[in-house]
Amino acid sequence: MSANHEDSESSQTAMTSKPSASSLPPPEKPNAIQTRFGVVAAFWAVILFLGFPIWWKTTSIYRAELPIQEMLDWAGGKSCRPVFPLEIRFDTPSLPDLEAQQLLRITQHTLDDLNEFSAHHLRLKLADEEAQQATEKADTALTVRLLAQDDLSSPRSLLDADTTTLDVFYPPSQIPPPSSSISPLSSYIAGELQRLFAEEKAIMAHILSNNAMGANVNTPQSPNSQAQQQISPQLAESITRRLRRSMKYAETYHLAFSLFTPGSAPSSWDIESAVQAYISPLVQVLSPISNFTIDTQVQLYASFSPTTPPPEYDETQQVWTLKEENLSAFINAAEWPLNPSIGSGPTINFILYVPAPSQSPLLVNEGKATSWIIPQWGGVFILNPPSIPTSESTKGNPPHLPANALTPAFLTFSHQLLSLLGTPQTPTSLPLRLQTLIRIRAATLLLSASSTMGSLARLTESLPSIPIPATVASSVSATLSHLSSACDSLRQGRFMAALASARVAETEAERSFFEKSMVGQMYFPDEHKVAVYLPLLGPIGVPLVLGLVKEIRRVVVGWKARRG
Amino acid sequence: MSPYFGLLRALPFLFFLFFAVRVSSEHTSNWAVLVATSRFWFNYRHLANVLSLYRTVKRLGIPDSQIILMLPDDMACNPRNAFPGTVYSNADRAVDLYGDNIEVDYRGYEVTVENFIRLLTDRLDEDVPRSKRLGSDAGSNVLVYMTGHGGDQFLKFQDAEEIGAWDLADAFGQMWEKKRYHELLFMIDTCQANTMYTHFYSPNIIATGSSELDQSSYSHHADNDVGVAVIDRWTYYVLEFLENRVTSANSKQTLGDLFDSYDETKIHSNPGVRWDLFPGGEQEGRLRTVVDFFGNVQSVEVEKTDADESGSLKEDLVELARLVEKWRTISQDYAAAGNDSLQQDNERAPSSYEVKRRNLGPVKLAEETPWEKRLIGLSILGACAAIWFTGSALTGSMT
Repeated sequence: MSANHEDSESSQTAMTSKPSASSLPPPEKPNAIQTRFGVVAAFWAVILFLGFPIWWKTTSIYRAELPIQEMLDWAGGKSCRPVFPLEIRFDTPSLPDLEAQQLLRITQHTLDDLNEFSAHHLRLKLADEEAQQATEKADTALTVRLLAQDDLSSPRSLLDADTTTLDVFYPPSQIPPPSSSISPLSSYIAGELQRLFAEEKAIMAHILSNNAMGANVNTPQSPNSQAQQQISPQLAESITRRLRRSMKYAETYHLAFSLFTPGSAPSSWDIESAVQAYISPLVQVLSPISNFTIDTQVQLYASFSPTTPPPEYDETQQVWTLKEENLSAFINAAEWPLNPSIGSGPTINFILYVPAPSQSPLLVNEGKATSWIIPQWGGVFILNPPSIPTSESTKGNPPHLPANALTPAFLTFSHQLLSLLGTPQTPTSLPLRLQTLIRIRAATLLLSASSTMGSLARLTESLPSIPIPATVASSVSATLSHLSSACDSLRQGRFMAALASARVAETEAERSFFEKSMVGQMYFPDEHKVAVYLPLLGPIGVPLVLGLVKEIRRVVVGWKARRG
Repeated sequence: MSPYFGLLRALPFLFFLFFAVRVSSEHTSNWAVLVATSRFWFNYRHLANVLSLYRTVKRLGIPDSQIILMLPDDMACNPRNAFPGTVYSNADRAVDLYGDNIEVDYRGYEVTVENFIRLLTDRLDEDVPRSKRLGSDAGSNVLVYMTGHGGDQFLKFQDAEEIGAWDLADAFGQMWEKKRYHELLFMIDTCQANTMYTHFYSPNIIATGSSELDQSSYSHHADNDVGVAVIDRWTYYVLEFLENRVTSANSKQTLGDLFDSYDETKIHSNPGVRWDLFPGGEQEGRLRTVVDFFGNVQSVEVEKTDADESGSLKEDLVELARLVEKWRTISQDYAAAGNDSLQQDNERAPSSYEVKRRNLGPVKLAEETPWEKRLIGLSILGACAAIWFTGSALTGSMT
C-alpha cells in the first residue's frame, strides 16, 4: 500500500523533473527513513542481544575450575611425604614389664641406627601397651614373641609361616640389665627384623626413587644413594625384573584358566574343585588389593602356529624338550582364543597344556622345568598325564583330568599369580609377604594417582581448547581428598586403610583423566574458522553492515547539517 | 663455596636420573596402531598397505590383542573385487593378506578422527571392549602407521573429515603425559606426509614419512586383474626391507638400517625422518632395532622346580600348599560352627572372586526425570505460538 503510493509519487516526480536529472530519486519521506532506521536497528539489536550471546554461549568451551596448584603439588611430592612406619608388637610373656621395656628401648635404638632409609622404619611396641590405646590403632606388621629357653647359648628365631609371628628363643642370661645400653639379644632381634624387611625396604626405595614424588621427598633428608647402597646390585636387579614382570594395577583382574590340548582328550577337568581348593583361598587373601573374576575354558585340537619350532626328542632322557628361547612362540596368539574381552580389567591367562601322547613327556630344556611365566600376561604349565592305552595298542591321553592330577598345576598357577601381582619373594611367611604387597600397592597407587593429577593439571594448562566438564572437577576433588587421607593413614601405620583410600584415589584420578567428553577435535587453524564462518556470515553480513554504515552516515550528515 | 654445595645437593638427584634412565631403557610390551583412512575401491592400495604392515608385525610376534587395526572399507568383500575374500599387495598375488586370521578392530564408519584420538588417549566409554583399546603403559613401545590421502598438515579420514597435525601432536602429548608409551615410532605414507609430524612436541618419538611438503606419494604398481594400484611406493620399499632383512623376531637390524634403505630414485619422493624428540637424537635413535617396534618383547621366565633360592617356585609351592590346608580347616571350622556361619561364609566368599550372576531387570539409563524436559519443550512451543499469534495480530491491526 505504501509502496504503491511511493511508486506513483516517484513516477510523478520523475515526470516533473525529467529534463534536469532523470537519475536522481525523489527525497525520501521522513517516515520511510524512520522505518528503515527501525528495521536496521531491529536487525542489529537481534544480532547484538540475541545472536551474539547465543554464539558466545554455544561456541565457548566449558572449563570447570580445577585446583591446579594443589594438583601440581601432589605430583611434585610437596603435599605428602609417604612414610611407612611398621608397627611391631613385642609379646613378652616371660619378662617383667620393666625389663621388657628396657629391651624394647635398646632394640629400637639399634634398629634406628641400622636404618638409613627414613621413609620406611620399624616401630616397636609392647603388646599390653598397645592394648591400652585402642583408638587409631595401627596395623601390626609383625608380632615378636620372646620365649626364654634355658639350653641355648645364643638366641635363635623362628618365623611362623602361617601367621605374622616371629618366635625368638633366647637364653635368660641375655636379658639386658636395666642400666646397659647395648645387649647381644637386642642387636640380634634388630638384625633379624632388619633382615626380614630388607627386600620390602629395597622395593620401596626403588618405587619412591623412580618417581618425582619419592625423589623429591627423599633427597633432602636421607639421600637415597645411601638407601641404594644398602641394596646389593643383585637384589636391585631382581627387583627391577620383578616390577617389570608384574601386572599394571587394576581394580579388577580376570583370571582365565584354559586347558589346551592338540588332540581330543582330555576333554574335561575338575576345574571347579581345583579353583575352589587352590585359587579361592589366595583370591580371598588378595581381596583387599583387587577384585578377581575367574573364567575357565577347554580348547581341543589346539595346534602350534606354523612358525613355532617343534619340540625335539631327547634320546638320552627319552623326553621331548622345548628350547627356552622358543618358548615365547609357544602360545599361538593368532589361533588360541585367549583374549576374551571380559569387562574392563586386564586378563591374567593361565594355560594348562597337555601335549599329544606322541610328544609326551614334554619338558623345557634347561632345568627340566614344566612351567614358565610370561611377564605381564600370565603363566603356562605343561602337564604330562599318565597315558592310557587305547584300542589299537596306541597310547592316548585320559579323557578326564581329576583334581589330584591338577594339583601341581594349580599350585604353580597360584605361585605365578602371586609373582604376576608383584608379591615380594622374602620373607618366607606368606601373610607377611601379602602385607608387604599391601604396602607396596598403597605406595604405587598413591604415587600413580598423584602423578595423574599432575598430568591432568599440565594438560589443562597446555590445551586451552579442551573442555573440562564438572564431573572432572568433582573427581579431582575426590582424588585429592582420598590422597590426603591415604597419606595420613600411611603416617599412622594403618596400611589397609591407606590402600583402600589409595584405590579410590586411583580410580577417581583415572576417571578424571580419561573423562570421555574431554576430546574433540581440539585445534582449528584460523583458516578453518574463516572457512566455516564465511559462507554463512558473508551473505548475511554484507547487507547488514552496509545498511548500518549507510544509516550511520545519514545520521552523521544530518547531525552536521543541523549544527552547520 | 655455594655452587659446590649446590652440586653436592644435586648429586643424589643426578644419581637417580641416571638410575631411572638406566632402568627405563628397556620396554616391556609392544603395541601397534595401524590405520588406513580412505574408503572406496580405487583406494585399494591404502588398505593393502595397512594389511601388509599388519601381517608383518604379526609375523614378528605382536599378538592380535596388541594390534589395533583400523580399516575404513572392506576390499575383500567389495563387489568389484575379482578375487573375492582376498586382498593382495603385489601383482604376483603370492600372499593373501586377508587370509583367515585377521582381526579388524575398527571397521567402516567406525574409523573416524574422533575414534582415533579417543583410542590414543583412551577416552572411551567403559563398555568399549578391550580389543578396541590401546592398553599400552609406561613400558610399551608403540608403532603408529597411517596411510591415506593427505595434504599440508592434515590427513583425510573417509572423505568426510580430516585430522590435523596439531591434533595428532596433542594426542601424542597426552599419551606421554599419562605414560602411555615408552618409545613411539610414527610412520605415515600419504602425500606431503612429512608435514604431519612437524608439530609433535612430546619426547621419545621417532617419526618418518614418505614425502616432503608439496610432494606426492605415488603408488608402486597396479595389478591388471584387480584393476587398481595395489601398494604405495614408500610402504612397498619399507616392506621389502622388513621382509628381506628382518626375517626373525631376533633380528638385529636397526632403524638406522631401515631409514638408510630409503632410495629416493625408487620411491619418487623424499622420505623424511625426525629424530630431535628422541633422547640422544639421531645417534641414539639409529641404534634402536626394528623389532623394538615391529616385534614383541621376547622374554619368558622359566621356573625351575629344583632351584633352592628363596622365593623360588619350590618354596612357594610348600607355602601355598600350607595355605590351602589352612583354608580347608577353616572351612571345616565354619561347617562345624553351624549352618548359619556356613551360609554367611558361602555368601561372602564367592562374591570376592566371582561375578555374581544375577538376572538384572531393565535399568533406567538416565537419572533425570523426563518431566523437566517436557516442561521445557512445552514452554518453547508455547512461546513460539505466542510469537506467531502476536505477529498475526499485529499484521491484522496494520492492514
